[in-house]
Amino acid sequence: MSLSEKSFNALGDPTRRIIFEKLRNGGLAVSEIAEGLSVSRPAVSQHIKILKDAKLIRVHKKGSKNICQIDKDGVMAMRFYLDKFWEDALAAFKIAAEETEKSTKL
Amino acid sequence: MNIKSIKKEVVVEAAQQTAFKVFTEKMDMWWPSSHHIGKSPLTGSILEPHVKGRWYTKHEDGSECSVGSVIEWNPYDRVILSWQINGNYQYDPELITEIVVNFIAEGPKTTKVQFEHKNLQRMVGLKSTDDMDMGWGMIMGLYQNYIKSLKN
Repeated sequence: MSLSEKSFNALGDPTRRIIFEKLRNGGLAVSEIAEGLSVSRPAVSQHIKILKDAKLIRVHKKGSKNICQIDKDGVMAMRFYLDKFWEDALAAFKIAAEETEKSTKL
Repeated sequence: MNIKSIKKEVVVEAAQQTAFKVFTEKMDMWWPSSHHIGKSPLTGSILEPHVKGRWYTKHEDGSECSVGSVIEWNPYDRVILSWQINGNYQYDPELITEIVVNFIAEGPKTTKVQFEHKNLQRMVGLKSTDDMDMGWGMIMGLYQNYIKSLKN
């Protein structure tokens, strides 16, 4: 699976989207992320791992705490994936439109 | 590059009407067949030609997958579609990102097609305006740093 696919998949889950949103104003400790979430701590850790694998967040140690913050790489991969998709689609559209134009005039 | 939207422009050697019709009525001719969310191979992409018309794909096993719907239908100048595929490649009625396509006649057989896929930030779950400004502002900052790092 490409990084962009991983990123899309990772954010397909509502809990992971909530976690991702919580980090939008800066880094948070895992305990702070877990606060207010209706899922267990091990589940939170698992969600964090998936987000980390998709490079949507990065985790570093600060003292005894694991601090999570948004990682630009996964976000960029998603953005670039869609960009590439539309680039390809519109190039194919141009060919289709020009072929249609020619065939209707013949 | 704006991270909240994707903008593209393509000049097509075809009449405005042809360009509009191929984009909306003949998606099969150009939609990349590798990109769909169905469980079986793609057999067609259909856009119902009116406001609130469905936009969906058809598949070999007979199933259909919604992509979005028609928000504005203004032949042959402009069409606005909603794209409601979420991060998990699933149709999500709650998610609305917009695709705006303008067809500008530059000559009898030349059309400039301006394309924009807007509000992409909603795909990563940033919904309200506040979230957008705060969250996306930060991501934009990260993006700018990323571009700077590439230049260095």
